[in-house]
Amino acid sequence: MHATFETMGTVVSLEWNGDDRALRAVRTVFEEADRRFSLYRPDSELSRVADGSLELVDAGSELREVYATALGWRGETGGAFTPHRPDGAIDLNGIVKAWAMAGAGRALGDGDWCLNVGGDVLVSGQTASGAPWVVGIVDPADRTALLIAVPLVGGRRAAATSGSAERGDHIWTRGRESAEFVQVTVAADDIVTADVLATAIVSGGAATLGDLTGLFDVDVLTVDRDGGLRATPGMRELVAG
Amino acid sequence: MRRRAAVASVIASAGVVLAGIQIGAAVTAARTTTTTSGTGTSSGSGSTSNSGSSTGSSSGTTGSTGSTGSTGSAKDGTFKGQTAQTPFGPMQVAVVISGGKITDVKVLQETNQGGRSVQISNQADPMLRSEVLQAQSANVSTIGGATYTSEGYLQSLQSALDQAGFTG
Repeated sequence: MHATFETMGTVVSLEWNGDDRALRAVRTVFEEADRRFSLYRPDSELSRVADGSLELVDAGSELREVYATALGWRGETGGAFTPHRPDGAIDLNGIVKAWAMAGAGRALGDGDWCLNVGGDVLVSGQTASGAPWVVGIVDPADRTALLIAVPLVGGRRAAATSGSAERGDHIWTRGRESAEFVQVTVAADDIVTADVLATAIVSGGAATLGDLTGLFDVDVLTVDRDGGLRATPGMRELVAG
Repeated sequence: MRRRAAVASVIASAGVVLAGIQIGAAVTAARTTTTTSGTGTSSGSGSTSNSGSSTGSSSGTTGSTGSTGSTGSAKDGTFKGQTAQTPFGPMQVAVVISGGKITDVKVLQETNQGGRSVQISNQADPMLRSEVLQAQSANVSTIGGATYTSEGYLQSLQSALDQAGFTG
């Protein structure tokens, strides 16, 4: 089956082999995350924490768990990923979507499905024709063209892509006027790792790329500002099919 | 996890590599004892007990592009460690120092177990577009790209796939 719906300012596309209950479960996960974490909703729990009307210690355990997870990633990425805006306000946008996707994935279980949320992908099993799920990565220089096709095999279940092309400078880059990489795709076994590291590499540039590919079991493809590509050995293997 | 810890230690102790310690020794030390303390900002201090022969100079390293200034602060440049036998095969790394800080650790000689089995070899290298041209004709299931908004979705390739009722 196939369905799309809007949530959290973007669009969810779900391909799955099952019934409507699975879709309802996925919708519920995203609606709850939207209610709690969206800063564009002034009444969201996170907005109330951000404006000071709700103390962090009084926030729900879910919010505190996501914040703690984000802080953990800040440490693991040497600060390249951070849940704070430059003015210090908590902003969990960098992790909430992936976190909700992981929750949706748990709700969907072990079957055959492909979940795409705004260009980030989490899959399970295989396609209806028995083939691996293949993620086509768009070319940031030509959004009607594909740059590369990445089959999610060998334990790789997630592919997240970050960049400055779609939402302007939504990722804060450290100490530079613009990002070294216009687009970074990370394939990993879980979506939170993929998404956080893609964001961190856009933010931290080549130095962070070198650090994080050495520390984490991930496959990475980067696109420079001049269109040049870099790929880790694992990414080359995936691409080679 | 053990390998990740070892790799982290290798990077953390790159300053020790500078002092000419074999990387294999560093890996072994990281596994069996404690992490070393080098931060890369105190070049060639030889302050750890693992160093053996280090005396604070860059003995055993080759400053391929580095200057030859005196010690006391880290010299800028690229410094190669010695090739060492590791449980994963021969390995050689180089550290790049800029402004007194390590800015990169490169693997010059990869082990003979490629890919993700040895993560220090997991470096992103330039890839030609001609190597991936076949991607254009690949049978993709879904479209990944830098996050699109609700509005951006309508212009996205994913939208086209969805409208086509694409099923795997």
